[in-house]
Amino acid sequence: MTTEQNTHFGYKTVAEAEKAKKVAEVFHSVASKYDLMNDVMSAGLHRSWKRFAVGISGVGAGDKVLDIAGGSGDLSKLFAKEVGSTGQVILTDINASMLGVGRDRMLDAGLNVPALQCDAEKLPFPDQYFDCVIVAFGLRNMTHKDRALAEMQRVLKVGGRLLVLEFSKVRQPLTKVYDAYSFKLLPLMGKLLAKDAESYQYLAESIRMHPDQETLKQMMIDAGLSKVDYYNLAAGVVALHKGYKT
Amino acid sequence: MFKQISTRLLQHLIAQNSWANELLQPFAGKSVQLNIALVNTSLVILENGSLAIAGDTNVPDATITIAPSLLLRLIAKDEAAKLQIKIEGDTHLATELAKVFSNMRWDYEDDLSKIVGDVPAYKLGELGRQAVNTVKETGINLTEMLSEYWQEEKPMIAKKRHVEQFNAEVDILRADVERLEKRLNKLAKTNAVVADFNQ
Repeated sequence: MTTEQNTHFGYKTVAEAEKAKKVAEVFHSVASKYDLMNDVMSAGLHRSWKRFAVGISGVGAGDKVLDIAGGSGDLSKLFAKEVGSTGQVILTDINASMLGVGRDRMLDAGLNVPALQCDAEKLPFPDQYFDCVIVAFGLRNMTHKDRALAEMQRVLKVGGRLLVLEFSKVRQPLTKVYDAYSFKLLPLMGKLLAKDAESYQYLAESIRMHPDQETLKQMMIDAGLSKVDYYNLAAGVVALHKGYKT
Repeated sequence: MFKQISTRLLQHLIAQNSWANELLQPFAGKSVQLNIALVNTSLVILENGSLAIAGDTNVPDATITIAPSLLLRLIAKDEAAKLQIKIEGDTHLATELAKVFSNMRWDYEDDLSKIVGDVPAYKLGELGRQAVNTVKETGINLTEMLSEYWQEEKPMIAKKRHVEQFNAEVDILRADVERLEKRLNKLAKTNAVVADFNQ
């Protein structure tokens, strides 16, 4: 059980102030190999999940999109195509190493996507600015998820939507296989490919500590979003939640 | 995976029929449950006027139900069958979505041209259309041939003329029975009056 001063860092309990620092260390460590590891870990499925999220977002030409914890910029790149020259996509991440990778990719692709280092719990944007806010595989690393969700709701326009793509609770018959994969194979792959088993151990633990589909849905409703619905992808390994600001 | 693939196909079709975007956009965020024959699925209208399969906890704003027998009639372009489609909830939304589906066309030549090029795609399209027409004409010929055989050679099916004649005769018989019933009632009343008078 966490207290007001303590929170989870994977299965460990750490001081709230320490979590952001520890998460930052993990992502500084994996930044350069992040995409390669994602491809290996998900057998390339993370790209299809991200494309699906963009398809469900309903983003069109001229829309303003905020990509939170966007890291290597996969989603920003896809959204930039959807919004066209009349729209705007802003890539943000709290981690400078991850953001650096994303910013370079946007520049290399010739995309006008500003990259901004900021904390999702204190977004530096005015109220009701974006048509769509998305956070993919980032919410579970945030210290105060409720504050972050409330901030995302604040910067959305009325009628705007928040999408949360995140690891979730896998369906029952697959739990054992998934556990074996996460706690045996994942750290091993991290060790072999990224030379960092510990960070990938944290990733597996943080997935288990993250709220399940229904809990996250309720958290989004509590943050002021309505008509919240979710899609289970790959038998619940990942869930895509979508809610509206009304 | 089903939802991902279906959503992709739906969005591809909507992109090919861009007129549908304007029609659907005013209903952004709303969803419709489709119960068509054995298929039950919910569609949600997106903010850009496209469509997607709804999520796992979606509550539909409207429901369209089409029974299997009705589906066959709709495929056969029976206009009267359209009136029997069951719509519940937001009828305006359901009607607009039904309109989109009935007018939507799959531009398969365009899709094919991206794989094999324009000219082969057109030729393949032509072949496809010819094949469909041949199958259609053969079907019609076969149906006509069988119906003629069963009407003329080995009467198993009643001719339209005979059915109409039979219906007319039933109408006449019904009218005659009604008249007879009225006469009998009148007679019964008269008898009752005579009986009262005699007493």
